Amino acid sequence: MYNNAFVLNDEELNVAISRTKNGYLLYIGDDVLPINLHKENDDFSILTVLGKRQAVMLAVHGDDVHIHMGGETYLLKYRNPLDRLAAKSRGAADDFIRAPMPGSIVSLNIAIGEAVSAGQTLLIMESMKMESTILAPRDGVVATVNFEKGQTFDRNAVLLTLEEKA
Amino acid sequence: MEDGINSWPFDYVLVANRGEIAVRILKTVKGLGLKGAVVYHAVDAQSVAAQMADVAVEIEGTTPVAAYLDAEQIVAVALSVGAGAIHPGYGFLSENSGFARACVQAGIVFVGPTPEVIDLMGDKVTARAFVSNAGFPVAPSAIEDDDPATFVERARAVGVPLLIKPAAGGGGKGMRVVRDLALLEVEIERARSEGKRYFGDGRLYAERYVENPRHIEVQILGDAHGNVVHLFERECSVQRRFQKIIEETPSPALTPQLRQKICQTAAGIARSAGYQNAGTVEFVYGSGEFYFLEVNTRLQVEHAITEKITGFDLVHEQLRIAAGQPLGYQQSQIKAQGHAIEMRIYAEDPAQGFTPTTGPILKLREPTGDGIRVDSGIAEGLAITANFDPMLAKLIVYGADRNQAMALADKALGDYVLLGSKTNISFLRRVMNHAAFKSGDVHTGFLDANPQIAANPALTKNTLEKLLAAASLATRSMRDEADAVLDIHAAMGAWRN
Repeated sequence: MYNNAFVLNDEELNVAISRTKNGYLLYIGDDVLPINLHKENDDFSILTVLGKRQAVMLAVHGDDVHIHMGGETYLLKYRNPLDRLAAKSRGAADDFIRAPMPGSIVSLNIAIGEAVSAGQTLLIMESMKMESTILAPRDGVVATVNFEKGQTFDRNAVLLTLEEKA
Repeated sequence: MEDGINSWPFDYVLVANRGEIAVRILKTVKGLGLKGAVVYHAVDAQSVAAQMADVAVEIEGTTPVAAYLDAEQIVAVALSVGAGAIHPGYGFLSENSGFARACVQAGIVFVGPTPEVIDLMGDKVTARAFVSNAGFPVAPSAIEDDDPATFVERARAVGVPLLIKPAAGGGGKGMRVVRDLALLEVEIERARSEGKRYFGDGRLYAERYVENPRHIEVQILGDAHGNVVHLFERECSVQRRFQKIIEETPSPALTPQLRQKICQTAAGIARSAGYQNAGTVEFVYGSGEFYFLEVNTRLQVEHAITEKITGFDLVHEQLRIAAGQPLGYQQSQIKAQGHAIEMRIYAEDPAQGFTPTTGPILKLREPTGDGIRVDSGIAEGLAITANFDPMLAKLIVYGADRNQAMALADKALGDYVLLGSKTNISFLRRVMNHAAFKSGDVHTGFLDANPQIAANPALTKNTLEKLLAAASLATRSMRDEADAVLDIHAAMGAWRN
């Protein structure tokens, strides 16, 4: 039942909802709460939890749900049940070397097809005027390189991918 | 202030900048009945500044930043659109004497100090020597270039705590604090290697370190006729990674006597240098003593708080001075009233070491109301990218006193909605409500000493339930799935409550 989850501040939270005649039920752990959400106007929606009303402002972009509520802003990332299943079975998140922060490539120390070993320097990036070194998380072969020297990228961009040694 | 100008020596002012400061300068330029032009890189084609300018001209570069640093290209644009003056804003080419010279050579007015003064103040060591020779207070120090062979000895004589800095430095890079003289030589070598790495220059200087220092700076204005005034001080002690994030005026740390002394010192330094246009004299302050730090030969990010308490429009003053007008007022005519605070809105995640964030701007509702000013360069529908500095906007609040200003700041931050990319807004609100900030008891190491302020606060069970309820119902696939089940029950006529 708890196939859905949101990631909030690095913590994964399992949830489910079901429909009732007048609204929805939210399942968290052992709790079941009656909830509802109505769009009031372009800006505000009215959220009802256990009969209590709360004005919220929402924006959804892909799996990201941005919420402004009570003077604070929150980001909840939706984890799709299929993605979670796939991540479990693949078990090779190490194949994707992602950018820990936005920045640009200072130097590429490897080429496509090159064999690398764990701990080897793959590339040097710059962010906030500081240089960081991206190391190989495991042994493998460089499958793709997605950026060239001098190019900029966003946080979490896949900088390069690794594959198993033939 | 009356500007006394019936006809400006220039009709068109080109803004060689982007983001909030380009918008802010264009507002004054257009308000004066002048025409405003702006240069932009392709990634800024839809920007607020490019939309509001009378003329916007695209510039190119190997990177977006490189385009805004291309002096030759920008001067050529100014000539092609017939701009008689260039306002450089802050950052980019604003403190580049070569650019100021190129403007003058092309017959364009550079809205800023003379190239000679930019050169004098641009090198920290020569600026410091100039200020010291003019009789103003600098921290006891040893400069390597004076006699490299005796540098270690002379640094030792200054005593601890001692701060070692690269001569070519800035932004806190390569700075080392020495509290134990036994480590002096090791730290000197570390600072030298960092100086070489960051600035390609290993020369150093050492000066007495002020423990728990406060950053206090003074706004000055000078004209081409030898008149110099100050517009009081700003305190900018709340910093992260040596960058200011909250500034206020007046400083809660100064007595009226000290305030007068530090402001007069700043005006004196500017007068000695023959300073023209707007500038800022920065000081380090602690234990009742203040020392000269540096002069910023540009309009500062935080200039708006000075405008709030004095009623001046600093960009207007800059343009008048650049047009050759005398200041037209005496120091005694400049009054400060009330309290102003600026908070810099950054696209960054304080809980992740203040790393920059990116994303689309899905929803933007800036706070409005009495005493609230937002200088912003962003708009809904645009995107925050990693191409530039992550500062998005500035929230400026003004109240009759500090408590009123802080209360207004807290409310305005709560009303500030930017959805689509993480920002530091909630973090700023936590700083604003921190006991040390409230009592005015901060120093430049305040945030480093209190890292818990940057961490995501624990959420109550009630808040968590509300967030998960809202997120679940806002997620299309979850809602559709729940609705589908009801439809089946309804179709079967088997609904039970």
